[in-house]
Amino acid sequence: MRKSLDAVIETLIFICGMLSIVFVVLIFGFLFKEGFAFFKDFGVLKFITGQFWYPSSEPASFGILPLILGSVLVAVGACLIAVPIGIMTALFISEIAPKGVRDVLKSLVELMAAIPSIVIGFVGMVTVVPLVKNIFNLSTGLTAFAGAIMLAFMAIPTIVTISEDAIRSVPWQYKEGALALGATKWQTIRRIVLKAAMPGIIAAIMLGIGRVIGETMAVMMITGNAAHIPRSIFDPVRTMTATIAAEMGETVRGGMHYRSLFAIGLVLFIITFIVNFTADLFLGKKKNR
Amino acid sequence: MVNKIKVENLSCYYNKKCVLESLNINVVQNEILSVIGPASSGKTTFLRTLNRMNDLDITYSRKGDVYLDDNNIFDMKMESLRKRVGMLFAMPIPLPMSIYENIIYAPKRLGLITRESYQDTIVEQALKDASLWNEVKDRLNSSATRMSGGQQQRLCIARILAVNPEVILFDEPCSGLDPVSTAKVEESMLELKQKYTIVLVTNNVKQASRVSDRTAFFLMGKLVEIDKTARLFVSPKEKATEDYITGRFG
Ligand SMILES: Nc1ncnc2c1ncn2[C@@H]1O[C@H](COP(=O)(O)OP(=O)(O)OP(=O)(O)O)[C@@H](O)[C@H]1O
Ligand SMILES: [Mg+2]
Repeated sequence: MRKSLDAVIETLIFICGMLSIVFVVLIFGFLFKEGFAFFKDFGVLKFITGQFWYPSSEPASFGILPLILGSVLVAVGACLIAVPIGIMTALFISEIAPKGVRDVLKSLVELMAAIPSIVIGFVGMVTVVPLVKNIFNLSTGLTAFAGAIMLAFMAIPTIVTISEDAIRSVPWQYKEGALALGATKWQTIRRIVLKAAMPGIIAAIMLGIGRVIGETMAVMMITGNAAHIPRSIFDPVRTMTATIAAEMGETVRGGMHYRSLFAIGLVLFIITFIVNFTADLFLGKKKNR
Repeated sequence: MVNKIKVENLSCYYNKKCVLESLNINVVQNEILSVIGPASSGKTTFLRTLNRMNDLDITYSRKGDVYLDDNNIFDMKMESLRKRVGMLFAMPIPLPMSIYENIIYAPKRLGLITRESYQDTIVEQALKDASLWNEVKDRLNSSATRMSGGQQQRLCIARILAVNPEVILFDEPCSGLDPVSTAKVEESMLELKQKYTIVLVTNNVKQASRVSDRTAFFLMGKLVEIDKTARLFVSPKEKATEDYITGRFG
């Protein structure tokens, strides 16, 4: 009886495991099928380096360079904001803050991670966007910069939580050893703690970036949705994700435009895959030590 | 006999609980003073008070004074005190970097290196003084965490020597080592006492009798007896001391 129950549970777990693999493979398969069909008709190079995204004009032009640049600009901007703030917050929580403050901060960060991105986008639209417009004296606040700020908000909890883990798992003997040699607290943090935690911190950054690149709703609301090549971070941009979300509903199933959106998805997938893979490399390195 | 360290009426507490009570003890210049006593008798607390490592622990508090060359250590800047009073922990943990970097780390941070070219000299000298040079001279740039336990312990000694302290505190430096490595560490301690003043906390009574000039016996946070090692081991004044060194204790 006991034994057969074991067997049933084992089979169930096996089926669930296989199912998730099957789903992933199916999604990939679909993405690749539609994407490659599009590449065959339009050409990969023309797609990636094309400067104009006019999917519904005659003749249509499917150049996603402006979309890629839009995504990159917003993501890089978000990282420039989120990485220093995230790492410093993690350091503050794990090394400097007294216990009471630390607990409050940690729960706040966790709370921040739980805010739905649509809410962040919405709040950003009514606060950050007008602020950016006024401070920099722009014709519109709906810019890559405003998007970067809001995305940074979303990446910070990831970066803080994982970096803080990495920093806290640095053996205390390292710190003690350095302090006993006469190093100051700050020297110890910079040269020993940060250095030993670096693989974990880099993984945290990568996962933060991963979240930022894949984000859709908030950027769609805030970045201005203009599919042209941006001249600066204060230009409106449109990201790859926003393009897919905005246009999927208007396409003819199986048509060129429809397939082009799958091709964008494929490009996006390759980018996030590279980012996650890099993060795994660093996390793996940490574990093997 | 010059007193290098003078401890006056020192009491230490964790969470207000007294673990070291009105301690009066002197450490003479260039001697090895060993501190023996059963577990939890306050030996580590004593050492960690001498270079103020315990100041990092918020549950810790103390009364009384400690003087290093007649300067109250509690008035000194912590970093400069720790430069003068080095400490070796029971678990030898090299910093996660190469052998060379481990040794040069502290001199660099403390600004002791005035010229780039001195670095190699400092590293070589420190490793020689810790009798480790011959074993590692061909792999100075390999990771320090891949050395044997005995080598790691001597590397930790070398990195203390590199900042040229005046006092070195050893907390059970050989507890995790085999007899051969232990002998090597003891050998280098005897060597070091020419230049430094040493306080050695040890659980190994025989080790105290082998290397130290004077021995102090701690019991439950109190100094029971301190005397010349030769005398204390032959004719201890207190019954408790005798019981402990003959192994009849507890
Ligand atoms: N960080 C700490 N927080 C609270 N209590 C502590 C702390 N460190 C030591 N104690 C307590 O203080 C007392 C003395 O400890 P100490 O480590 O000085 O003893 P010791 O003589 O070094 O013992 P051992 O031979 O086991 O190393 C013990 O009762 C111990 O439980
Ligand atoms: Mg101890």
